[in-house]
Amino acid sequence: MSNEPKGFKSWLFTTDHKKIAIMYLFTALTFFVVGLLLAIVMRTEQLSQTHKIIIDAKLYNVAFTIHGAAMVLFWMIPIVLGFFANYLVPLMIGAHDVAFPRLNALSYWLYVGAGLIAVCALVLPGRLDIGWTGYPPYSIVGGANTAFYVFAVHLLGASSIASAVNFITTIITLRAPGMTWGRLNLTIWGLLGGFIIQLVGVPVLAAAVTLLLFDKYLGTSFYDSFKGGNPLLYEHLFWFYAHPAVYVVALPVFGVVSDIISTFSRKKIYGYTSMVIAIMSITVLGFETWVHHLYVAGTLNWTRVLFMWATILIGVPTGIKTFNWLATLHKGSIELSAPMLYALGFISLFTIGGVTGVANGLLAFDTHVHDSHWVVAHFHYVLALSMSMICLGGIYYWFPKFTGKMYNDGLAKFAFWLTLFGALIAFLPQFQMGIDGIPRRYWKVPVEYTTHMRIASIFSYIAILGFLLTIYNFIHSALKGAPAPANPWGSRSLEWQIPSPPPFYNFEEIPVITEGPYEYGKPK
Amino acid sequence: MLRTLMSGLFVMLALLMPNLASAVRDMADPADGWDSQFRIWAIISSVIYLVVTIPLVYFVVKYKRRTKDEEGAYIEGNVGLEILWTVIPLVIIVLLGTQSWALFNNYRKPPKDAFEAKVTASMYKYEMISPDGIRSVNELRVPAGHVKLNLTSSDVIHNFAIPAFRVREDMVPGRLTYLWFNAKTPGTYQVYCAEFCGSGHSQMLAKVIVMPKPDYEKWVRENQATQTAGLSPEETGKKLVDSLGCTGCHSVDGEAKLGPTLKGIVGRQVELADGKKLTSDDEYIKVKLKDPKATLVKGFDPMMQPTGMSDTDIAAVTAYLKTLK
Repeated sequence: MSNEPKGFKSWLFTTDHKKIAIMYLFTALTFFVVGLLLAIVMRTEQLSQTHKIIIDAKLYNVAFTIHGAAMVLFWMIPIVLGFFANYLVPLMIGAHDVAFPRLNALSYWLYVGAGLIAVCALVLPGRLDIGWTGYPPYSIVGGANTAFYVFAVHLLGASSIASAVNFITTIITLRAPGMTWGRLNLTIWGLLGGFIIQLVGVPVLAAAVTLLLFDKYLGTSFYDSFKGGNPLLYEHLFWFYAHPAVYVVALPVFGVVSDIISTFSRKKIYGYTSMVIAIMSITVLGFETWVHHLYVAGTLNWTRVLFMWATILIGVPTGIKTFNWLATLHKGSIELSAPMLYALGFISLFTIGGVTGVANGLLAFDTHVHDSHWVVAHFHYVLALSMSMICLGGIYYWFPKFTGKMYNDGLAKFAFWLTLFGALIAFLPQFQMGIDGIPRRYWKVPVEYTTHMRIASIFSYIAILGFLLTIYNFIHSALKGAPAPANPWGSRSLEWQIPSPPPFYNFEEIPVITEGPYEYGKPK
Repeated sequence: MLRTLMSGLFVMLALLMPNLASAVRDMADPADGWDSQFRIWAIISSVIYLVVTIPLVYFVVKYKRRTKDEEGAYIEGNVGLEILWTVIPLVIIVLLGTQSWALFNNYRKPPKDAFEAKVTASMYKYEMISPDGIRSVNELRVPAGHVKLNLTSSDVIHNFAIPAFRVREDMVPGRLTYLWFNAKTPGTYQVYCAEFCGSGHSQMLAKVIVMPKPDYEKWVRENQATQTAGLSPEETGKKLVDSLGCTGCHSVDGEAKLGPTLKGIVGRQVELADGKKLTSDDEYIKVKLKDPKATLVKGFDPMMQPTGMSDTDIAAVTAYLKTLK
């Protein structure tokens, strides 16, 4: 089992889930940096509300389009369903690899292809200025090369569907003997929920953008209301996938938080069964919420009411998870390591994102703040602060495992506090602007809000500096870090019971599992 | 855990009681209803935040790891507690949702006596036609009281947002949507476009001017009778250019905005997008106003819509443009 291939070619043609995971990590972090650089550009433009600083309105629109697409489609989803899924699923369920290793490699390369198209959309003429949502008629009648958008989504979609089939099959069929459903890590449950959403949702998105392509280039009129079509059809189809896409990231991330908290509290996850029920009910309920993106779009009144109830109901399983995490800390043995800081930060920030999300979900509340800076602040608390940060926390947590090196602990903690401090304050002024009703995606906001926007800009620079330091820490520690032991955290989870980094085929022999991953302090 | 939850619940109820009564009273006017909904949400959310973060910090301090090999207590869960923190959020959600639903019903039911007008959006302006047939652009005059606006768009999706009245609704091409508000106090209120619509999105601004009823009626009489009577063609042309929103995209001082400047436009050399060059004259201005997409100027996006002006109006506008040297 030691005939592991080495060298550049071994990466290019690999079908090893661990190598594919590392490539996902590398590519996703690259897009994260692209997204952060575009954020710097936009925040700099917002330093003045009276005249242009570096980019005009048109380029500003391109910047927020690519920023949104890079962050959601090329960073968040790939880091979770690409990196975490690839690295962890076989290790946590006790398998040599995924069910279809070559399909797995194809998924990765399709993702790279989509990424190249996204870069073209940023730099080639006909730059994409349609927002990451790409609403018609603007995406059809405007000057943007919508084809970039459509083909990027197609390639990503093919990649996502292939991954979903692959990992759902892997989790169902390749679990080691004794690895019952009740002994799975919550990360695995979260990933399972995420992949189910991908499998159901992505084809709908692919169809929606295909019709966009036909309307723009082939003269059809699916979305043209002057020729018998309806632009709201696109909004429905788009959000049918694009809202659950948040849960694609959220569910696995809930699992990561659970695993980190259990390990660093040395305590069994409180209410494992209710955690699983919560994950699975969000998987299902997540598909009944998309109309909240259309609350003021001119949809029928009764649909708005129906989807309000489904939307705010998501608050219940989310609440269960939060309280279970708190109860897990109770009477634990808590070590404040860098990953643990990220996990605890996640709970406190996600609570802000959560309660402001309930506000968005409330129909009448949203009638005033829809598409305002309130929404910008809300989804950055959820996506940028909570989820991006815990993804970095997760990378730290498994860093010794996949690199075989220890990260720089001091720098990790310093960068964490820097990001937390910056990002926490950066979006607060935007809540105020949202309550005042100021719409988002504005190149220039009314001059009264100059100070709000400057505060947001300056603190966002601090947050971004923290993010960049974290990425520097990853690279530096991967090259120069001290060698890591097999199980530096004293975790009971299966992936920590094998050497760091794991051998080529993970397990010499498929292990026989006798207890779950969280059995700390069990009376003998 | 139980103690924190229960004391949080108690504090929440104590703070909510006075607000729940006023919430029911405020609902008749959506803007007031929104404000009391916000207060209720803010109280509940603040308490939830404290109920989560206080134990979080307390546990981290109290249960800090003391020895290297220490492990936590073995606790699998507690069905009673887990049911409790399922039911409490559920009750809160039902409370918030019911209030929001009731308020939403009022948002969508315009009173029968409402003043009604139609607003059509296009890149990047709002045009209103009052019940008396008066056209106005970006300055929408309405009488004080209940106002219902019927909304649509002639190009892409726009939005009509008036923060002062806590309401907004999209304007969708080829479809009719609506909103209503209670304009209690005369004054000028800012309107924003809250749906991304292109490079002029953040400049798509308008005002709703709420006038006391007698003033509004006086304004209607004046504007019906004297729209352009007694003015010279140049004055009529200036009035048209200012009131139809042309200056939103075209400056009169030489600066290029979303479209070319109007300063010196007559007699100017123009380079078209297809590379052709021509001299702008009366005929060129006429074509431009009737069918803007027939002659696209190099360096600008094709976003101007046909104006639908009569030949007399076009002559007046041309006369005015000639004065812009």
